Amino acid sequence: MPEDNESALIARAKEDPEAFGLLYERYVGNIYNYIYYRTGNHHDAEDLTARTFLRALKHVSRYVDRGAPFSAWLYRIAHNLVANWHRDRNRRQIISLDDLVMRALKREEPAALAEEREERDRLLDVIRRLPPERQQLLILKFVEQMSNAEIGEVMGRTEGAIKSLYHRTLVALRKELTNERDGRGKGTGRTSDG
Amino acid sequence: MDRMDQNEERAIEMLAAHGDVLINRREAVPRTDMSDEEHGRLAPLFQLAERLQENMYPVQPSAAFVRGLGKELVENAKRQIALTKRLRRAVLIGAAALGSLLSVASVVGAIVYVIARSRARAQAQAIHTPTSHAEGAPA
Repeated sequence: MPEDNESALIARAKEDPEAFGLLYERYVGNIYNYIYYRTGNHHDAEDLTARTFLRALKHVSRYVDRGAPFSAWLYRIAHNLVANWHRDRNRRQIISLDDLVMRALKREEPAALAEEREERDRLLDVIRRLPPERQQLLILKFVEQMSNAEIGEVMGRTEGAIKSLYHRTLVALRKELTNERDGRGKGTGRTSDG
Repeated sequence: MDRMDQNEERAIEMLAAHGDVLINRREAVPRTDMSDEEHGRLAPLFQLAERLQENMYPVQPSAAFVRGLGKELVENAKRQIALTKRLRRAVLIGAAALGSLLSVASVVGAIVYVIARSRARAQAQAIHTPTSHAEGAPA
């Protein structure tokens, strides 16, 4: 992680727009990925990424460097925005543009590919049902390919706590996937019976 | 209970090591480090981690979006910094004006106080000073 000049860059970003621009370029990919895996579509990922950085810009003058990575602060802002997004979405059942496009694509692609895509979508759907911190752990580990120590810095936990959370997350995810598969199996059975 | 804790500790460490191998953070964990029983117990979790590794990969935001947002942020930052500077200057001017107003008020107050005090003293003297006519009057 680029720590050496990060503190200096953050201090400069409070007075210098170009410095904030550099911080943006450094982290836009990470924040976008985090939001994409939490929301499941590019349209909302773009919208919430923009809001994350606009909010960060608004409050950067009050940012206090306590030694944690700057990305931890950005992830926290993104986390809050995603939580609000989920709340709003639950209130008004919305079908995103991405979903509609995907549905159209699925109808046209070969069966094997469609099945593979469905399998991935199902896995990501189940991941999105996990508590936010467990989702964040999986995103930082597999998408950002961070070590447990780096994840610990971002999430404000020890390396040991991250290892333990990873274990619990895999156990919970496996259980969820099994429940889902069983549920689907029963669902299919009922349909064919009827 | 202790044995259970130990087993869980081992499972946590092995899963963490396996995860590090998946993201190329360390060399492969030798199979000999695990008993058959351990491997059997952890195999479904290893497979799940491998599935996650295959399906969770970085996605790229569109270049147009990154460029557009970057431009918007720099413009916003410029506006925000200019506004902060203007606000800071206004606060400074306001404080200076208030300061000078206060110092003028305190000078005026001091003058008024001195005048009022000397007037009061003169009045008090006028009341208490006996007239020479009264002193020389016959009994």
